[in-house]
Amino acid sequence: MTRRDAEPKARGALEYGTDLEAPGMLWAALVRSPVAHGRIVHLDLSNARKMPGVVAVVGPDDLRALLPKGALEAERPVFPLDEIRYRGEPIAAVAAETLEQARRAAAAVAPEVESLRVDARIEDIFPEWPSEAAARDPRVVGHVHARHGDVDAKFRSAELVHSETYRTSGVHQVAIEPHACLAEIRDGTFCVRSSTQTPFGLREDIASILGIPESRLLIEGTWVGGGFGGKGAAFLEPYALLLAVASGRPVKLSLTYAEEFELGRTTLPSIIRLDTAVHRGRIVGRRVRLLLDTGASLPGRDFAVGYSIGFLLGPYRTETYEIEGFALQTNKPPFGPHRAPFAPQSAFALESHLDGLARRLGIDPIEFRKLHAWREGDRTAYDQPVGPFGLEAGLEAAARTAGRWRAGLPPGHGIGVACGFWSTSVGAGGEARLLLQPDGLVILEGEREIGNGSVVQGLAIVAERVLGLPLDAIRVEYGDTATAPFDSGVFGSRTLGALGQAVEKAARSLANTLATRAGVKVIQLEMKNSQVMVVAGRRRQKLVDLLTPAERAAGGIEALGKHYAPERKIDLSRVLAGTVYPYQDFTAAVHLAEVEVDRETGRVRVVRYAAFHDLGKAVDPPAVIAQVEGGVVMGLGTALSEEMLWTPEARLANPGLLDYRLPRIRDVPPIHVEVIEGFAGAGPFGAKGIGEPPIIPVPAAVANAVADATGTRVFELPLTPERVARALKLL
Amino acid sequence: MSDGPLALTINGKSRQFEKVPDSERLLDTLRWRAGLKGTKEGCRTGGCGACTVLVNGEPTLSCLVLSREVSQEKVTTIEGVATEKVGRLVIKAFTEAGAVQCGYCTPGFVVALAAQLRGGGSPPSVDTLVDGLEGNLCRCTGYCAIQKAVEAAREAVK
Repeated sequence: MTRRDAEPKARGALEYGTDLEAPGMLWAALVRSPVAHGRIVHLDLSNARKMPGVVAVVGPDDLRALLPKGALEAERPVFPLDEIRYRGEPIAAVAAETLEQARRAAAAVAPEVESLRVDARIEDIFPEWPSEAAARDPRVVGHVHARHGDVDAKFRSAELVHSETYRTSGVHQVAIEPHACLAEIRDGTFCVRSSTQTPFGLREDIASILGIPESRLLIEGTWVGGGFGGKGAAFLEPYALLLAVASGRPVKLSLTYAEEFELGRTTLPSIIRLDTAVHRGRIVGRRVRLLLDTGASLPGRDFAVGYSIGFLLGPYRTETYEIEGFALQTNKPPFGPHRAPFAPQSAFALESHLDGLARRLGIDPIEFRKLHAWREGDRTAYDQPVGPFGLEAGLEAAARTAGRWRAGLPPGHGIGVACGFWSTSVGAGGEARLLLQPDGLVILEGEREIGNGSVVQGLAIVAERVLGLPLDAIRVEYGDTATAPFDSGVFGSRTLGALGQAVEKAARSLANTLATRAGVKVIQLEMKNSQVMVVAGRRRQKLVDLLTPAERAAGGIEALGKHYAPERKIDLSRVLAGTVYPYQDFTAAVHLAEVEVDRETGRVRVVRYAAFHDLGKAVDPPAVIAQVEGGVVMGLGTALSEEMLWTPEARLANPGLLDYRLPRIRDVPPIHVEVIEGFAGAGPFGAKGIGEPPIIPVPAAVANAVADATGTRVFELPLTPERVARALKLL
Repeated sequence: MSDGPLALTINGKSRQFEKVPDSERLLDTLRWRAGLKGTKEGCRTGGCGACTVLVNGEPTLSCLVLSREVSQEKVTTIEGVATEKVGRLVIKAFTEAGAVQCGYCTPGFVVALAAQLRGGGSPPSVDTLVDGLEGNLCRCTGYCAIQKAVEAAREAVK
């Protein structure tokens, strides 16, 4: 069945954040900092207030009057009260009758700013690898150090130590729809409609920024024109709400693409050093060192380094290791999640490193990975058990395909393999409310479909499988944070795996209730003449006949399903400092790329691609293939062309699509997708999530194919023609 | 800068707007004055193709055109294309091929493809049709399903 949202989207009939409009609405624009690092000496907003069409201007001095007490003590004030930490940071906001008037007024503000020293690049903060003592530098906002086993002894006695340094670049989510929201105050309630992946997360976030209780906030999602991690946390909403309070009118705020890039909370550059000790053909020890640019992230609020560093050990048994990561504050916008945050970058470094090591040892790269691949029952770096895990099966499937490709490989071409793992079903869990009506089933959620189909289609399929109702009798309806049951949001490849379990529980509860009323153990539902029929053994009866008078009056029978992730303990004794993240419900990916490298220009063309994914059970197979194809192509952008470029003054040099190159329709090779089933996850019917895993191995697979084609390794992303040409000594 | 009345022909109908600044872009007139929000706002720099409309049948980025420039021309938006036979076939092809995910880029793709198929006669080759979509960005599908939709739409209008 085709997705219910596809046809209305294709004819432009659905409302996204950018489309929001309300009677009497004002348009907003942001006043943004002219410097990357500085102190506000004087912020005169009186000129802006006098500009034509301007209705409200809010800056740091207005917070006290507009917000309840406590807002100024918020951990993250809505405007910087003193220190500006990145260029373009919003320092005030304007609402006017037209967008043009708002932008003109915002541009008329000339803040007096004292410039401070700019930290633009992490290699300038720590030109040498930092010592443990360096963690006390105020620019270190996150520090993780963990050790397992006698790693020093293993390195001393190793036959071979393979040491390399990799660099990765800043990349942007570039959802085609820019961020947009509409705020208004209704009966004292702060109401926001927003293009968001996480309505409930947004509520929590805005409450903490504005210092108001969650009970005074109402969030309603719109259709989302792509998220990829960028539409999770509060971003524009607090500014729009402040202007709505100040003006007493609805306020629309959306970002220009230049603002998308200049304010983007996204992946920032890193330097990764890997040392691997090998004895008798096996890895016996690893040292991982990570310098991660986390931009203007605040101390203690950095999630990136603790989350990322485990990916640098990979889905492989590692007898002993030491990992140390520094999250470094620079004057770029704060680091933010971007489809499998930092995992493609980690996999690029680790899988390139393993590939080079296998070649050095004269072992086939696929065989070398198989030797170390996690299997069910292994323990992760943090001593968590690995559940059913299809990496070995994926590698075997990939080996067969690679063999066929190798047999007919033209000169100048190369084949690369890379693996990745991901942990799905994360998040604080969620709930689903099902209403079974005489003519069909409604699933009520607070979060909108963001594009991948997991909400509009995936949740419906779970209910279909449990209850037996056909899909066209099931529909998902969207509420707001007051009417819909809680869910932590669409992120982390968690929707089907985690929220799907809530739907499964609610559906089973409905089935059990009806079975009890029908006097049987098991029932199934079916449709007949647009009526829901309850099938109990050989008896069929209308649903309405099993409903109580109260249920009939309410329109149907309701069930609530809840799924909250079990608390998983990790071995903290292995962690010396900082926070590492526990992973769970592991999913494996193995990718193959064939490339052709132009020996004059360094241009890399991906000729064909294959992706093998262990995802437990493909509950919605067309959606799985669509996620893999989309993730691979996004990964090709990270691999080959996407790169945010900052000047030494931390000014973004390419804030737009004309200089930041996304893959286009002609860049896409044939992509073969193979699902590895049989390694069940915790989700419904054994499903694991698939939103993020497909992007993870891509840059590494391409880089390994380039090394295979040329005999030369490129140590930095992306593999632009210039970088490849330099590596080949053509420049 | 002046503003004054503006007349446009949109989807075959004559529309009058008051106090339109000379600097207003066709994208904004369509979305905020004509209420036709199927034309999506993306980058506003001609880089993404989400705002593609037809001007005298030619695919045009409405973010790069001033409304006054096209006052003598025929403007067709996704809402107009969707009522035409070719447009309906293209929408059906996108829907059935699984080429719609977040859907934000889709109206632009539909307009750009329909433009190439609505001339009558035998349709251009698949290669030519795909070349005609080089200016449209999609971040969700990896373009794989869109290529299938192009093939299906071409077959359907033959």
